[in-house]
Amino acid sequence: MKLLFVEDEPILVEEMNSYFSSQGFVCEQAISFSQAAQKIHNYRYDIVILDITLPDGTGMELISGIREKDIETGILILSAKNSLNDKIDSLNLGADDYLTKPFYIEELSARVNALYRRKILKGSQNIHFDAFTIEPFSKKLSYKKQEIGLTRKEFEMLMYFLVNKERVVSKSAIAEHLWGDHFDQQDNFDTVYVHMKNLRKKLSSASGKDYIRTVYGMGYKFSC
Amino acid sequence: MRLLTRISIYYLCLSTIVLGIAGILLYIFLRNEISREMEEQLEMQLDMVASELQGGRKISYPLVDIRSGEEILMRLPKVFKDTLLYDHLQKETEGYYYFEESKKINHKPYRIRVMTTYIGWENYARTITYMFLLIATLLVALGTLINYFMNRSIWKPFLINLRRMQGYSVSSREELQLARTRTTEFQEMNTVLSDLAARGKREYTALKEFTENASHEIQTPLSILKTRLETISQVPLDSAVIRPLADAKQAVNRLSKVNKGLLLLAKLENDAFQDKRQINLRATIIHNYSLMEDVFEHKGIKVNQQLSDYSVFASQTLMDILVSNLMTNMISHAPADAAASICLNAIQLVFSNEGPPLTFDAARLFSRFGKGIPGYKGNGLGLSIVKQICQVNGWIVEYTYKEHRHTFDIRFKE
Repeated sequence: MKLLFVEDEPILVEEMNSYFSSQGFVCEQAISFSQAAQKIHNYRYDIVILDITLPDGTGMELISGIREKDIETGILILSAKNSLNDKIDSLNLGADDYLTKPFYIEELSARVNALYRRKILKGSQNIHFDAFTIEPFSKKLSYKKQEIGLTRKEFEMLMYFLVNKERVVSKSAIAEHLWGDHFDQQDNFDTVYVHMKNLRKKLSSASGKDYIRTVYGMGYKFSC
Repeated sequence: MRLLTRISIYYLCLSTIVLGIAGILLYIFLRNEISREMEEQLEMQLDMVASELQGGRKISYPLVDIRSGEEILMRLPKVFKDTLLYDHLQKETEGYYYFEESKKINHKPYRIRVMTTYIGWENYARTITYMFLLIATLLVALGTLINYFMNRSIWKPFLINLRRMQGYSVSSREELQLARTRTTEFQEMNTVLSDLAARGKREYTALKEFTENASHEIQTPLSILKTRLETISQVPLDSAVIRPLADAKQAVNRLSKVNKGLLLLAKLENDAFQDKRQINLRATIIHNYSLMEDVFEHKGIKVNQQLSDYSVFASQTLMDILVSNLMTNMISHAPADAAASICLNAIQLVFSNEGPPLTFDAARLFSRFGKGIPGYKGNGLGLSIVKQICQVNGWIVEYTYKEHRHTFDIRFKE
């Protein structure tokens, strides 16, 4: 899968690049409007991650160009402005999702993967790990065709772990993913723990294997 | 008082004064004129009586009085005077006017008096008064009517523009469109208003851009901090580093929350949320509660919900923030196993929960960063955001503590 990052902040580009490369994505970057316009014109991307504020133009103007080139390309807006008008405008222009800075790279990954499943795989493809099967569309988990009942939050957490596997994920990143960023998550950490414990129990009682490891003081790590 | 009413009242006063003066003058002149005519008539009558006498004919007429006498009569002057006579028919005294003159007829002195009635003096006065009252009424009524219609057409552009100004906000995307007028004063006012609106809009845009740029400038370094700290967390760390790193991450988190909160407050003050439509508040509460249900359950807070179907005209984003902030507040401050309730009806939205009394002044509850509770981990903006959202919608939010229950009561406008 091919990603294009349009972002003028080199450190963020570097971070996104190293994260998504390690997850098996093919990554390219553009650090200016003109560079991005050129790349969009010449190549095809599965998903474009677009910063609105660029030194020589606004990412908003790139949306229609991407859409003209390929209707299937997923467009995720990355904005520091958190302005409602920007959000409405960009979604109206044809962007698929909108994420406000500062963001967790894990959250970006969850959004990119969800977008990929929705736009490119049309939600049809199941996800497998070990003998587990996940149907993302109907939100079902099964182990060797035996369905395992998960609450909505446990399912969301599992999906989040899967797109961020082999990575230490902090509790506040999980909380933000589960409850959105309206909520003050400091009070939800205990609840994150409860969900994690239940999920871990359900997975290990089916397979006999512990997938989630607690990293002291840091968060959790999912490996399979 | 409306301008048209005022103008009409001034016009009415002026008309009354002018007509009153005109009436009085008319009465005086008319009276003088009639007096003169009567004097002429009486003089002529007296002259005729004298010539009759000269002819030796006998005069017997009720309103003529003739006395003959000594030479001394001739010394009496000509007299015009008022007198009263009793009218047997109408049974009232009536004003009469008489003229007396001494005349020598056939070498004999005579004193002759002739009289005539004031031909309905009062009738004159009354008729004049009635006439003038009628004229005054007609003048005022027709004048006001004409004034009213003329003013309506003259003031129409002004009134239209007034409405447009009332509905205008510098934060809206539309330009201020003023109705054209041919009246110079209104043209000048339109120019001034358009300038003012344009200046306001420019300054508002500049402020908005500044706020957004400032937030942008802060958000990007924060993004770098956040991602870099997460990257550092990926490598196996010495336990001496873990705690400071966790603290740093938490601080960055709080900083980004505060920044977002302040930005939201700035936008609320600028009334920048224009996505207003009919929002089903009940659905909003149910949706936000379903998101947080597990947290309430985990803390053992039992939430009793009494929600009627009620819609408000507001921004969905703001309603989500309002409801989630009040729920977060409940979760943060209600003790474990507390009973809580959320009630919604057409008059009010009430969030209440059990808990120990506040340890600080309730007035500080809605102020920014005003809590000062040791160990409080929120960003200190949640309730001031709640208050600001209520203000934007013209609602009133009140806090009370009664029977061990904290209550936030939001009253919608009537």
